[in-house]
Amino acid sequence: MKKEYVTWLVRDEQLMEEQELELTIRDLTPGREKYTGLNVKAILSSSPDKLPDGDILWIRSGTGVLHPQPWAIKITGDLGEFLSRSPFNYADLLAK
Amino acid sequence: MAFKDNRQFIEALERTGDIVRIKQEVDWELEAAAIARRSNEMQGPACLFEKIKDYPEGFGIFSGGIASYRRLAIALGLSPDIPVRDMFAEYERREQHPIKPVVVKDGPCKENVMLGDDVDVFQFPAPLIHDGDGGRYLGTWDIVINQDPDSDWTNWGTYRFMLHTRRALVGQPLPLSHLAMLLTEKYVPANKPMPVAVVTGADQLSTLVGGAGYRIGESEADFAGALAQEPIELIKCETSDLLVPAHAEIVIEGEVIPRVTQMEGPFGEYTGYRSRPGGDGVICQVKAITYRNSPMITMVSLGTPIDEAGVSGGITMAMAYKRRLKKLGLPITDVSLPLEGACHVVVVGVTKGGNEIAQQVRDALTSRRVPITKIIVVDQDIDVFNFGEVLHAVGTRCHSVRGVMIKEHPGRGNPLTPCYSTEERAHGLGATALLDCTYPLDWPENDLPVKSSFNTIYPESIRQKVTENWQRYGFK
Repeated sequence: MKKEYVTWLVRDEQLMEEQELELTIRDLTPGREKYTGLNVKAILSSSPDKLPDGDILWIRSGTGVLHPQPWAIKITGDLGEFLSRSPFNYADLLAK
Repeated sequence: MAFKDNRQFIEALERTGDIVRIKQEVDWELEAAAIARRSNEMQGPACLFEKIKDYPEGFGIFSGGIASYRRLAIALGLSPDIPVRDMFAEYERREQHPIKPVVVKDGPCKENVMLGDDVDVFQFPAPLIHDGDGGRYLGTWDIVINQDPDSDWTNWGTYRFMLHTRRALVGQPLPLSHLAMLLTEKYVPANKPMPVAVVTGADQLSTLVGGAGYRIGESEADFAGALAQEPIELIKCETSDLLVPAHAEIVIEGEVIPRVTQMEGPFGEYTGYRSRPGGDGVICQVKAITYRNSPMITMVSLGTPIDEAGVSGGITMAMAYKRRLKKLGLPITDVSLPLEGACHVVVVGVTKGGNEIAQQVRDALTSRRVPITKIIVVDQDIDVFNFGEVLHAVGTRCHSVRGVMIKEHPGRGNPLTPCYSTEERAHGLGATALLDCTYPLDWPENDLPVKSSFNTIYPESIRQKVTENWQRYGFK
């Protein structure tokens, strides 16, 4: 049974196929923990045939519009619970 | 009479027929929010969802508590049918007398305590509110509490927070918010995590003031007491010195970690749109959760008007703007934000009009952050709480050349405003249109158009006769 995930893209150029990239996905396994966040390394493909051992990845635009067809995703690594950068540009804010 | 918690408030709403208890199981994924949204759009009652899919009996969601001025009046202990103008006046009167909170040793929010490895935010039925949102939001109609380490200022704010992992929430306070300011100025330089508490299910008045625009150094808890006309009871957190409302349903205790982030959003906001892509959010690493037996999450199913956010913004922004304008000595009568304007349209009544006064009003309202896009200034014969009258003035008294003044406010615009481009939002660019609906001061009095309404065009004797004979004429 393939697992299902969803991701939100900020820019379309993030949609790169067949090369390892880093992205945040949310686990769509039904139940209480649905939508748990994961930061992963993964390979994506728009055609599931090219990633036969991959899972299903639903893709949404930055503002949440669903792409009609899901892609395939093969998770190749775990990037940890959080991303190592600041949520704000502190220097810029302090300057203000 | 003040309600210490939502449970008392819900009983009051039941007595007035302003709530529906939904006993049928509903899904936390979209269904609960869709029901609440439809009720909001139909100007229907508040909703209490008592059985949520995947969760134990008693774990509920309460939505729409003060999604109407009628229910806000109930929360304030006033008659549900009080005229809006009178409710605003009473709110303004109470707000002038802050009451310090009291600290209690025990409270209902400590009935259950989750610590250490037991912490799991997924144990609560956080809803997925809109199809396409970036996650499940535990914090929508919430209070996020943080403390200035160098003073006694405790900041309450309403910031959205969604579930990330079992022990992490991710939220989106704006960079110029008080929370972000304290983080940036006080905790980042010391390279320390900032203690926070995300409170869902506090009493409605406390939650209302959490979203109000008080100044730096002013503690919202004092104003919650003012509105309740008695001190709010606070209780110390398990893992920090923060004080939280003792009667709240769920308190998430955690720390904001300054140098890490996580994708947050997108989320359908109070503007009625999901206009901004998701982005880097603030991480709250959860250390403890305390909650009442049978806890209720408070949820605002944000969207097109009218909902709790519109009502709370409608009154708290009007009060903040009125304070600011009066402090500057401007000749104002009243201030309102029509609920349909989603906190983007403000109407200011003045006793003395003219372009110069209108521009002074605009400059005062745009001197800080500018969440509004339209400022309508009207003469005192227009009821600022009657949007029909206001629109009549916009159509007939606002000259399309000299009455409309556009001004840009670089760096102070609202990134959530849907009409701004991605580029404008990224740089905080914003603008206002000032609609001056007052007559120029240099017009001779005899040249002023005579308003043809029942109250203005007929002599008192005729009005009295017509009013007294109204039913005899055959009207009911």
